[in-house]
Amino acid sequence: MPVPPRINDEERELVAAAKAGNQEAFSGLVRLHQRRAYLVARAIVTVHEDAEDALQDGFVRAFQALDRFDPSQTFGAWLNRIVANAALDLTRRRKVRNTEELSDALRSPFRDPAENAELRERLADALAKLPERARSVIVLHDVEGYTHVEIGEMLGIPGGTARSDLHHARQKLRELLKDLRG
Amino acid sequence: MADELKFPNPGERHVARDADSLDERTVRAIHSAYSPPVAGDQNAYWNSLQQRIMARVGAVLPAQRGQGWWSVLSGWSEVGLVAAAALFVVGGFVSNRLGEPDDQVAYDSVVQPSTPEAISARAQLITASDQSDQRDAALQYILSY
Repeated sequence: MPVPPRINDEERELVAAAKAGNQEAFSGLVRLHQRRAYLVARAIVTVHEDAEDALQDGFVRAFQALDRFDPSQTFGAWLNRIVANAALDLTRRRKVRNTEELSDALRSPFRDPAENAELRERLADALAKLPERARSVIVLHDVEGYTHVEIGEMLGIPGGTARSDLHHARQKLRELLKDLRG
Repeated sequence: MADELKFPNPGERHVARDADSLDERTVRAIHSAYSPPVAGDQNAYWNSLQQRIMARVGAVLPAQRGQGWWSVLSGWSEVGLVAAAALFVVGGFVSNRLGEPDDQVAYDSVVQPSTPEAISARAQLITASDQSDQRDAALQYILSY
């Protein structure tokens, strides 16, 4: 079980200064957490542009709610819950996207050339075929390393449901990729 | 201050692996699929995104913080308005209740008929003063009101 990273002194100072209205300090928090927060948003909304929107919305919400942040928590976990909520709100507002559109969203031209092209193509199609929540859970757990409980908190579902979703998502993904050449 | 921060490595968080886990190659491919579609300098992308986020935050900033001492007053103005409205309602109610006895007396004096004794005495007076014509007496009785 991974040990959640503890809030360090530098981050604590940034949070305290940001709470006092220091924009530069909040900018430091953005710089520190935007990459992981982006991946949380992207895992939920799938499309890059939507992930950026959700991320910006999440940071604005976090800034507005700074007074309610409990310093005994890790800022990253608190922030990612807010970003996940912003992403979920966005998916509710957006029309349901079809499989082809999602598959295109995951098939970016800017990829590592060493990456297996067939795997990339097939994976994009397979991920697009997964239910929305299963896709989020598999990315948050297997790629980002969040626990079932953390994922449950982010997505507003019980930890046991996140575990069950993960199991089914892995099964489905394996099935879709089973004849892939190594 | 921000320049001194260390960026978290995307692979820094330990991913718990179990017997059911996906193979490393697939996990790496998923990570790649969910990374921002950026060609070239990744840092330039993140710097740009940070600036856009702070621009959004800056847009809500005046409404949230740093508007000076008058923003404190404006925060209290809503409370003041509610208190004033409540005082007005309570004051009106109390004033209404205090003025009620006088109003009631005035109302009663106009609306309520005279007591039977008074009517009887007046009728007797009229009858005694002019016994010749009962109809005139009745007319005077009516006109006396």
